[in-house]
Amino acid sequence: MTTAPTTRERVSQRVPLWRDVIVLKWVTQVALLLVVLGTMWFLASQAGDNLRARNINTEFDFLERPVDIQISEGIDTHPDTGGRALWAAMVNTLRLSISGIFFASILGVVVGLARLSDNWIVRRIATGWVEVLRNVPLLVQMVLIYSALTALPRVGLDTGPVNGWLHISNKGISMPRVFIADGFYQWAVVVLVGVLVAHFVRRHRQAVQDETGAHTSPTLWALGTVAVFGLIGLFIHPIFSWLGPVFDGVADLLGSLPNAVPQVLLAAIVVGLAAIWIHRFISSRRSALGHLSISDDDCFRIAFTAVASLAVVALIARWTGFSAWTLNSGQDLFAVMADKFDVDGAARPFDAMRPDIIQKGRFPNYGTNGLSMSLGFASVFFAVVFYTSAFIGENVRGGILAVPKGQTEAAKAVGLGRGQIIRHVVLPQALRVILPPTGNQYLNLTKNTSLAVAVGMSDMVQVGTTVFNQTGMTLPVVAIWMLFYLSCSLTISVIVNWFNVRMRLVER
Amino acid sequence: MTDTTPTEPDGGQTRDLSAARDMIVCENVSKWYGDFQALEQVSATIKEQEVVVVLGPSGSGKSTWIRCINHLEVHQEGRIIVDDVELTNDLRNIEQVRSEVGMVFQQFNLFPHLTVRDNVTLAPIWVRKKPRAEAEAEATALLERVGIPEQADKYPGQLSGGQQQRVAIARALAMEPKIMLFDEPTSALDPEMIKEVLDVMKTLALSGMTMMVVTHEMGFAKEVADRIIFMEGGQIVEQGTPQHFFENPTEDRTKLFLSQIL
Repeated sequence: MTTAPTTRERVSQRVPLWRDVIVLKWVTQVALLLVVLGTMWFLASQAGDNLRARNINTEFDFLERPVDIQISEGIDTHPDTGGRALWAAMVNTLRLSISGIFFASILGVVVGLARLSDNWIVRRIATGWVEVLRNVPLLVQMVLIYSALTALPRVGLDTGPVNGWLHISNKGISMPRVFIADGFYQWAVVVLVGVLVAHFVRRHRQAVQDETGAHTSPTLWALGTVAVFGLIGLFIHPIFSWLGPVFDGVADLLGSLPNAVPQVLLAAIVVGLAAIWIHRFISSRRSALGHLSISDDDCFRIAFTAVASLAVVALIARWTGFSAWTLNSGQDLFAVMADKFDVDGAARPFDAMRPDIIQKGRFPNYGTNGLSMSLGFASVFFAVVFYTSAFIGENVRGGILAVPKGQTEAAKAVGLGRGQIIRHVVLPQALRVILPPTGNQYLNLTKNTSLAVAVGMSDMVQVGTTVFNQTGMTLPVVAIWMLFYLSCSLTISVIVNWFNVRMRLVER
Repeated sequence: MTDTTPTEPDGGQTRDLSAARDMIVCENVSKWYGDFQALEQVSATIKEQEVVVVLGPSGSGKSTWIRCINHLEVHQEGRIIVDDVELTNDLRNIEQVRSEVGMVFQQFNLFPHLTVRDNVTLAPIWVRKKPRAEAEAEATALLERVGIPEQADKYPGQLSGGQQQRVAIARALAMEPKIMLFDEPTSALDPEMIKEVLDVMKTLALSGMTMMVVTHEMGFAKEVADRIIFMEGGQIVEQGTPQHFFENPTEDRTKLFLSQIL
């Protein structure tokens, strides 16, 4: 005769697999992963077949073929090949975006603070600035600035507000240019050493401050250290010329290695990382007394990590091209670095030149000596900086207003001064509100520079269009555009997210 | 209202403070918000070591008055003198007064981006220019005094309301103030947390701190206060010892107020 099971026995029965939430979760996850990978592979092979069937060329060899393009400004105004043209255009776009982000941030903070000013006139001007710039289309502003700039006096061989130093004319703005010369890389090593030393100086000053309470401004000291090393480096940089042969040796070594070495190395790294992860994971599941409790979910995680790392190892072993590529590019990299150090001992790290004006055809224009900003560049630059500053200003204002009034009152009540309240109480809390939307504005600014095509400035989009008109390679150029803008956006969002994580408030 | 166990059965200590120094002197202080007069000719003198509880219905100007004393609100007429320093437009006077007067707010107003320890040490390090180690040792001692030394490395968002308010008291005490102002310190707390905060305030009062407390805790007022000031409509209506105030008030408005709350 069997007795009826007790409550405990009935409850502790093993759940069947098809009803186990954790098993179901992992099975669906892995199945979904496989479906996504399979679909991507299927679509890619279909697209390849179809493109080949229609004779649409998707090769990137046009990058090596000659084109006939004139670029308005930048590192190369008459590029030989399509690849070089796109490269020069990319540099132009990056110059616009980076300088734009820098100045738009500064101006935006000024506008945002002005909006909160106690001064009636300042507040009204800032409000007007924001309202006008936000509500007029960017393209209209860009064309307006462009037409205003064309009304400037013509450039001549003897014109400019400070002749020989600064020129402003209907060809743009030109000023003296400081550029890096042969000795730069040796000097950069000196500065790198300075940064390392500065790190320790900062730590030391901080320790002194914590010990004695004296305000030792550790950050200023660190910056000063770097500056001192930079100055001294200007004179002693040739002491690092021995790095050239070292790099040469590394390049030779990489060239003589067999393909198997990076394969083994990469596989070892992948397996090692997986092992470390699993080890850490298991110890994180251990209680203070050393008792190990691993749930079903944890088992699945460990298994998935192990299988995934093995899959990557198999991929590395199968795909020999990748290993060869890492070897070759490593060798190239060190050869290039060796070249940079293979200079005459007395080479200067920096050089400077004054702007020049040359007359090639009918009209005089700026030569390549000075740092010149073409009319097109200037109009895109000012347009995106003004436009974005209005939005960043609103973010700054909103962020500061988002800090509760009680915070400033509490800070006042413990006796902190105005500057200390801003630095220690308001700013850390406001930044956390300001940063995410401002990151979006940086992304917008970068994408908005593509409007440069309207004022004839050679950016990525304008040059790309010309390249595919001349070569017929639409798809590859579009792919390059997408890759470029995507990498810019991802870089910006990675940086902004990093700040966000650091700024996050800890709550229960 | 919490049930507090009075240290003396009759409630209210009757200390003789007439010989003590004047810590806060208010002379005919008036303040307007637009047309609305928030304070009307408020005059009072608070002695060293005295504990004054300010009572009154909401909107009677209690908070405005206490906030005028460390210049978070600016009075428009009359004089306020704190520890022989007059509050004028002089920034130096304002900063001097603020570093001698600690304040505890209804909403705690802890700095959410700093740990409890950093909340307490911020002002000593940056205003008093104390070495960090010394400031942190004092912070630990203060947190022990308010009964939460184990929470030092947590953030305010991880603490309960009562714990947060005790951190706020420790933060104010870290500046070694001569006067403590409490602006409804228990009004935002759950009932079971009120006692822990009141206990801290009681020990502080017994240690001889000059205190000015705006509160609705009648038990605390009866037990700890040297003097009760009753305000209504921006004016001081009546003041006296707790015994006088609760047992035979003279003014009709005071009687009405007491009949509503007791």
